[in-house]
Amino acid sequence: MYNEDKPPLFKSWTSWYYLVIGFLILQVVFFALFTKYFA
Amino acid sequence: MSTPDWIVLVATLLSIIIYGIYRSRTTRDLDGYFLSNREMPWYLILLSIMGTQASAITFLSAPGQAYTDGMRFVQYYFGLPLAMVVLCITFLPIFHKLKIYTAYEFLEKRFDLKTRTFTSFLFLLSRGLSTGISVYAPSIILSSLLGWNIYITNIIMGGLLIIYTVSGGAKAVAYTQQLQLGIVFTGMFLAGYTVVKLLPEGIGFSDALSISGKMGRLNVITTGQTDQGFDWTDRYNIFSGVIGGFFLALSYFGTDQSQVGRYLTAKSIRESRMGLLMNGLVKVPMQFFILLIGALVFVFYQFNPSPLFFNKIPIEEVRQTSYRDSLSAIEKQHAVLIEKKKQAVAKLPSIVSAQADAEEEKVLTEMKGLQKEEEALRSQVKKIIKSSQVKGEANDTNYIFLRFVMDYLPVGLVGLLIAVIFLAAWGSIAAALNSLASATMVDFHKKFLSKGQSDEQEYKTSRLYTLGWGIFCIVVAELVTGMGSLIEAVNVLGSWFYGVILGIFLVAFYAKRVGGNAVFWAALAGEVLVIGMYIQTNLAWLWLNAIGAIAVIIFAVILQGTIFQKERDKG
Repeated sequence: MYNEDKPPLFKSWTSWYYLVIGFLILQVVFFALFTKYFA
Repeated sequence: MSTPDWIVLVATLLSIIIYGIYRSRTTRDLDGYFLSNREMPWYLILLSIMGTQASAITFLSAPGQAYTDGMRFVQYYFGLPLAMVVLCITFLPIFHKLKIYTAYEFLEKRFDLKTRTFTSFLFLLSRGLSTGISVYAPSIILSSLLGWNIYITNIIMGGLLIIYTVSGGAKAVAYTQQLQLGIVFTGMFLAGYTVVKLLPEGIGFSDALSISGKMGRLNVITTGQTDQGFDWTDRYNIFSGVIGGFFLALSYFGTDQSQVGRYLTAKSIRESRMGLLMNGLVKVPMQFFILLIGALVFVFYQFNPSPLFFNKIPIEEVRQTSYRDSLSAIEKQHAVLIEKKKQAVAKLPSIVSAQADAEEEKVLTEMKGLQKEEEALRSQVKKIIKSSQVKGEANDTNYIFLRFVMDYLPVGLVGLLIAVIFLAAWGSIAAALNSLASATMVDFHKKFLSKGQSDEQEYKTSRLYTLGWGIFCIVVAELVTGMGSLIEAVNVLGSWFYGVILGIFLVAFYAKRVGGNAVFWAALAGEVLVIGMYIQTNLAWLWLNAIGAIAVIIFAVILQGTIFQKERDKG
């Protein structure tokens, strides 16, 4: 049966949640380095 | 504005209206009108969510914020990705399972009718007034800079989108938002590219970043720490951004019908989830690039004379008052300062090309000092504008980017950027009108006024409500014209209600033992606390969302355990 809640690319939605949170952390680290570098 | 700019502006706006009408075909019932028959793919959900959140002020204000205060405003969005995850785990499955039209329907199923009606009323009050301001805010900026009549600008800003919003409902809103965002991003990218091209020869993109950073405009991460400890009145820092921003985003995306109504149009819960999660991925970078344009505009004005105040209207008005001599004295000081700035930066391109770091540091230190002097002069002008009580805001942040566009961008691009302002406004206003109509129809009309209407009658009534809210918002925009202080008050209104509404929903999801009476009275008490704190303290407004939500949860649990304990036992 087609599962209408099956996530694309990953096996579970939890992996998507980790991706979103991980990307946020990565951005914050990048912004911190960006701020420090150009200050 | 030149004729080619007018052609670009009118052609862009007309194409959106025609496209909106073309996409208006939908089934003549509530499902078709408010939820696009629940058939939207995730990428349209994403664009619709983004188009609803990004108003005209987003594109006008953010570059101005970066110019005056640096890029730290981006931290305001740090809580958003976290909120998207919580929404997908908690709110979304319940909303989809119940097949609701408005978020507030869920509250009746979980609590009672009065809690649903109260929450929906708070939404209608705050969203109705703030949408009126969303019409007025960009109109006053355009009318000031272009000399347009403010009353007519209000009507164009809030009126033309009504044509396709009334006829096509949620479907027309989503499809036009897709096209609008495409044009908006193209316009902003071209503006950013042109700023760099307009910099003097020898100053490239990385040099511009270096200058901007040295002059304090690339302060993306700030901690809010001072010598006296954490500054609770500091508006944007990483802590208020992550915590306050999380509660604000959770409330806005989880309980505000203008957003809930967008992702309920998805053809499945999977599409809703993807739309929300992709929003969590792209929102922060998007805001970063909009702010970066402002930081680059700041560098541009280091090499070109910057206006003392970016909105000409209040300056001209001050000239007619007894403050004209004070203003004239400041203008003379500013002219001297501009000349000093010109001499200081003249050496910079050759120094940068020769990579003479010590020399560059010396010039930048001198420029920093001159910038501080200029900021002091700008503060004095703002004080004069306030004291003289002339018409117009004493804050010109929202005028900076558009003034730059008008003064320096090439013909054609000016028209496109003016169109960008209209389209950004239309995207969020159209979604707001659709959501106001759906809450009125589903939470009030169907509940209290007429229960037995046919699908066709409900569809027609819904169109009338959309039209009615459109007219209401234009009337609000016309009424607030010339009432500067009231505008700020209405903008603050959202932060009074968002936290409390979120608190009601969080109790519904997580405090299973709390009933309708406890949460209703807790919400009222929470509202009093939030408004009281706003009046009595200088707390930065982002914190009010967290305080409102947490207060409702605590009050509800206490009330349920004490005054309303018997009700629970009976239940």
